[in-house]
Amino acid sequence: MKILRFAAMLAALVALFSIAACGDDDDDGGGEGAADAEKVGEAKAQGDVTWCIGKDTTGAFKTVVENFNKENPKANAKLIELPTAADEQRRLQIQRLRAESPECDVLGMDVVWTAEYAAQGWITDVTEAVEARKDEFIPSTLETAFYDGKYWAIPFNTNAGFIYWRTDEVGDKPPESWEAMYDTAQKDNGIVYQGARYEGLTVNFLELLYSAGGTVVNDDATEATADSQETRDVLTFMQKGIDDGAAPKAVTTYMEEESRRAFESGNGTYMRNWPYAYALGKESKIADDFAVTTFPKYGENEGAGVLGGYDLAISAYSENPEGALAFANFATSPEAQAIQASQASLPAVLTDVYEDPTVTKALPFASELRDAVEQAKPRPVTPVYPQVSEAVYNNVFAVLQGDMTPDEAATKMNEEIQTALETF
Amino acid sequence: MEAATARISRRQERRRYGSGERRLAALMLSPAMVVIALVAAYPIGYAIWLSLNEYSVRVPGLSRFAGFKNYSEALGSSEFWDAVVTTFLFTGISVSLEFLVGLGMALAMHEAFRGRALLRTVVLVPWAVLTVVSAITWRTIFEPNLGLATQVLSTLGLPGADVVWLGESGYAMAVMVLADVWKTAPFMALLLLAGLQVIPDDVYDAAKVDGAGTWQRFRAITLPLLVPAILVALIFRTLDALRIFDLPFVLTRGSNGTTTLSLLAHQELTTNRLIGLGSALSVLTFVIVMTVSFIYIRTVGGNIRDLAKDD
Repeated sequence: MKILRFAAMLAALVALFSIAACGDDDDDGGGEGAADAEKVGEAKAQGDVTWCIGKDTTGAFKTVVENFNKENPKANAKLIELPTAADEQRRLQIQRLRAESPECDVLGMDVVWTAEYAAQGWITDVTEAVEARKDEFIPSTLETAFYDGKYWAIPFNTNAGFIYWRTDEVGDKPPESWEAMYDTAQKDNGIVYQGARYEGLTVNFLELLYSAGGTVVNDDATEATADSQETRDVLTFMQKGIDDGAAPKAVTTYMEEESRRAFESGNGTYMRNWPYAYALGKESKIADDFAVTTFPKYGENEGAGVLGGYDLAISAYSENPEGALAFANFATSPEAQAIQASQASLPAVLTDVYEDPTVTKALPFASELRDAVEQAKPRPVTPVYPQVSEAVYNNVFAVLQGDMTPDEAATKMNEEIQTALETF
Repeated sequence: MEAATARISRRQERRRYGSGERRLAALMLSPAMVVIALVAAYPIGYAIWLSLNEYSVRVPGLSRFAGFKNYSEALGSSEFWDAVVTTFLFTGISVSLEFLVGLGMALAMHEAFRGRALLRTVVLVPWAVLTVVSAITWRTIFEPNLGLATQVLSTLGLPGADVVWLGESGYAMAVMVLADVWKTAPFMALLLLAGLQVIPDDVYDAAKVDGAGTWQRFRAITLPLLVPAILVALIFRTLDALRIFDLPFVLTRGSNGTTTLSLLAHQELTTNRLIGLGSALSVLTFVIVMTVSFIYIRTVGGNIRDLAKDD
């Protein structure tokens, strides 16, 4: 009996523990001096620099580190690989930042984290460094590093969605509009995209919404603007796609990899995906039967994408910010960018790199890629982005599942975004 | 009468151990108590403290005392109650199935036959696989079009081949239960097997002499004598199932009616970084799990005491 009670108590304690452990953040983390952000001084390629970024799946990051060390004998850069999943990278970075750990000097930061990291004072103002090189970058990529009147990071790689289509099924001509594409998809073999309830669905929805001329928050992200006719139109369009079979019901469980596998195995005439699927598609059995293009028109409007990618920020707790800046500059130099673009299919942030012969050879669609990046817009820039995104994908998902009408979802999405924006 | 006996025996006990000895016992237990206070009481107290505050997501280091605001927000949201229903539904179905399957496995493993040692090892393999790994495998199996499940069903011409398993409310829960049963039924079996092995053989021999059949022996001997083991197994599994996180996180990310309490707390704590609200959800989960364990002990725990008295 005693043993039984003890066992129950123990199990209950373990239960609290395992959840409480997730929230072991320190309440006074963030740091005092962080409120008035420090600026990085002159870049000096010296001392130890540690770069914390997602897993180096292709070896391109290691090459950058090696080249930097070779060119700068006084410096010693090293790479810490974080997990592949963005959520996990963010969790591990935040853990270190809240503990004011100087371990990471340069942070590989998903473009949607900029506002949050900057607001918390975790990263340093690099406006001067960015201004000095401003002309080299594709303007839209710089927007992802901009918050509260300052630049907080140097764009490192960018990303934008593409339409992949089966040339053996619908010919060589790219689709003229989203509507036409859905019509053909419905008659043919469907369109697959990322429709699971997660960040990817927010991106897929925003691409359509931006193309339709809508937004979810105003320019300074203080007011929700999702309760609009554009939102209703796009939601109706997406719902109809599922209902009449233009997009299979299965897309509501698809993330990037699932959609890629479906497309490559012949379950889909069209696919919306990131550029990474190109190189992999060329190794699949449909290698010669597909092509890529930027987003088509939606109604009368030009198609617009949503920017992805990573920026390099300098930790506020770095003990060598000058060295860190030198490294960030090096990693975003044309040479380093060309290596990443050709070796890892990571879209470069510098305009000229897209004309580099090694890049155009590795990525034959380099010019489309640059077009896609140029036409793309950032996601809402706000410290409460995760909540805003949750409000978006939850309600879009409810419409795809038939649990809500587009009208209800637009109203609720707007309310939830507004609540999120008003978070303490 | 029973109560009186209990009181007398307790008094006798107290007399037997003098106050000096009890002080010594307390002294000897104190290091363990300090450890428990450090590793259990402090974090729990801290979680409760966090849940009574709000932490700014905008201004570094800014926080304010919020009283029970986080709790009223949690208790007033439909997400919380949906998660409670989902969690209990999952726990009820999966633990019942695990018990039945586990009991069957334990009985089979208890029989003497060639290769029994091998079977016992093989049966435990699912339990040894990390939940996250097995969850990823299950997600692949139930992937639409390409998954093994759909392939097998359509090859055999069975219904369900065109079902998007993880994309529909009821089916998503069914896959989650299946994955959990597959993984933890062996654990249940192991606990029950341990219980079976302490039942002395002569009880069965006596029953055989009296002419009891297999079913009678199972009903009258095995099951009652197995009750303590069953209860320990059920408590462990129930409390474990109530805080399920990894399966829905991997399989569905909580969509289609699979958001459990732990998943909800995780979403608020790590994704949205609403530390106060997330902690309140954790504390509520803790209270729920505690309540369930007390109910277990109050209602079914009494049975064990009765059983012990019958001896």
